[in-house]
Amino acid sequence: MQHYFLADQDLSAFVESLMAKCPVIAPVANRSRFVFETLETVDDLRLDYDTTILPPKKAFFPTKQDLITFDENGFKAALNPQEQILLGTHPHDIKGIAMSDIFYQDRKVDNNYMAYRNATTIIGSSVQNHYKHAFFGTMNADRPITGHDMFMTKVDSGYVVETVTPKGDALIGLGTFTNVTDAQIADAKAVNEAAEANCPEKLNGTAAEIREKVRNSFDSPIWDEFAKDCFSCGSCNIVCSTCFCFDVQDEWTVNAKAGKRFRIWDACLTSEFSQVTSPTKSENFRETQGERYRHRFMRKAAYLNDTLGGPACTGCGRCSGACTANIANPVTVINKLLEQ
Amino acid sequence: MCDCNTENLFLPQLCDIIAATMITATEKHFKLKLQTGERLVFEPGQILEVGLFGYGEIPLGLASSPSRKDGTFDLVVRVLGKVSKALGDLKAGDTMTIRGPLGNGFPVDEFKGKDVLIVAGGIGLCPVRSMINYILQHRDDFKKFTLFFGTKTPSDFLFEEDLEAWRCSSCMQYLETVDVPDTAWSGNVGVITTLFPMAKDITPETRVIVCGPPIMYKFVVAELDKVGIPRSNVYVDLERRMKCGVGKCGHCQINDKYVCMDGPVFRFSDIENLEEAI
Repeated sequence: MQHYFLADQDLSAFVESLMAKCPVIAPVANRSRFVFETLETVDDLRLDYDTTILPPKKAFFPTKQDLITFDENGFKAALNPQEQILLGTHPHDIKGIAMSDIFYQDRKVDNNYMAYRNATTIIGSSVQNHYKHAFFGTMNADRPITGHDMFMTKVDSGYVVETVTPKGDALIGLGTFTNVTDAQIADAKAVNEAAEANCPEKLNGTAAEIREKVRNSFDSPIWDEFAKDCFSCGSCNIVCSTCFCFDVQDEWTVNAKAGKRFRIWDACLTSEFSQVTSPTKSENFRETQGERYRHRFMRKAAYLNDTLGGPACTGCGRCSGACTANIANPVTVINKLLEQ
Repeated sequence: MCDCNTENLFLPQLCDIIAATMITATEKHFKLKLQTGERLVFEPGQILEVGLFGYGEIPLGLASSPSRKDGTFDLVVRVLGKVSKALGDLKAGDTMTIRGPLGNGFPVDEFKGKDVLIVAGGIGLCPVRSMINYILQHRDDFKKFTLFFGTKTPSDFLFEEDLEAWRCSSCMQYLETVDVPDTAWSGNVGVITTLFPMAKDITPETRVIVCGPPIMYKFVVAELDKVGIPRSNVYVDLERRMKCGVGKCGHCQINDKYVCMDGPVFRFSDIENLEEAI
């Protein structure tokens, strides 16, 4: 692990060197919001973004990913990982990626995820502006930030750059990095601590308290109260850093002689997610909006804790902003449960 | 982080269809063999993701004993949805794909040397047929063997040849019932729990398997409670929507358990307090 300093005026040249090496996926403006997208020009890079519409997991778990291609002669895996750099990932989003790394290696390793993940170098960056619903300062705050290769913290006149892995070390030769002072390292630490402390929203309990309270509230009326306005659209799932569920579908080419099997992000809030077909009526194991809404909170706060080593939530706040009915904000729901 | 794994969890194996027969108005029975010629090694109660390229995959319980000598195995497809309709159109000589075996089957060793009761409702007979036939093939390994089978109507009966053999068998106590009889039916009429008073010698030491529609479980377990069978000796075989079969897609999740990985066979006492399980 090494610390360096990258002056503001040297950022563009460094990023252009990265872009010359392989595709660089980074936050860029998209209308009034930001998205992670392959950089076409360094001028598009917006490290001052607050949050992105979709989390960066899409770099290795694409919204739609081919699994198998088939034709009249047989079938084969569609895996085709290419080296890529994910630049500008906020610390809480790095934690989300670390959780999906654990999930996709738990018990059975899913190489359709891991091959793309291993081909990716992650360069994190500090939060310069807060998303209005962010609460990462009080959600999984104690969880170490792991899984990235390099981290850049914005300080006066440049960035304090920390290399975390040999993959990160290997990037130092691509930019004009200079020695960093102890004072600059201290500044960087203060910047990242302030980002956590200044989150606009805050949970009123620890992960352990939240897990116990949420898990014991399975029969609480709160789920139906909030979910009565739920459109079952699944937007909260789709924008979530730690929603890993997917559907698998097949599609033909136009001549119906070849095709592919692909996976596509799915959402447990949608009505058909747990439905099985039966001759008389469809059996739906989570039939009501309240049951599905509760399942998501249980999965985040309790069910996956043992597997992931903590709550399946990063405090990014994307779900709060994505919900049309304004019922998805975990801070509102969990703080209300903690009061009871 | 693992970068050495080259296995692709989604790549299936091709199977040749040796025989394909409609056994009810909606159920098609397939006898299959791996195209590699290898024997499919599995435990009674395990599942496969069964598919056809261009249509998709569905989870099905293996319906034959793993000790069948010719290396073939059976599946029963209920022809209802997009994938099952496409599979239902296949005939002997065609191919389909499988992934698996997946999940945990029945703990056969825990049943050995014990009385065994299997309670199967409707198409729930298919996955437990792997265990029934295993018991009959290794009959001396088990003590008293009782099978309850119930369907809505006599026309829903599956595996007629098996049923006929079981009715006449001296190796097992076989009792059957229908909810709604037709004019030719002379057997018991009523839900499956009406078979309990008719059965001889169901002892508290019996090991039990229950597989059927979700509504059936709590009523059957109530009868088992009356007999004094501990719920830790009762196994249930659960059905859920599944897409991946390898604990990733989330569809079959019940609390912190994935039916495809932790089931489909569960010890009842392990899941009775798990909300949304039964």
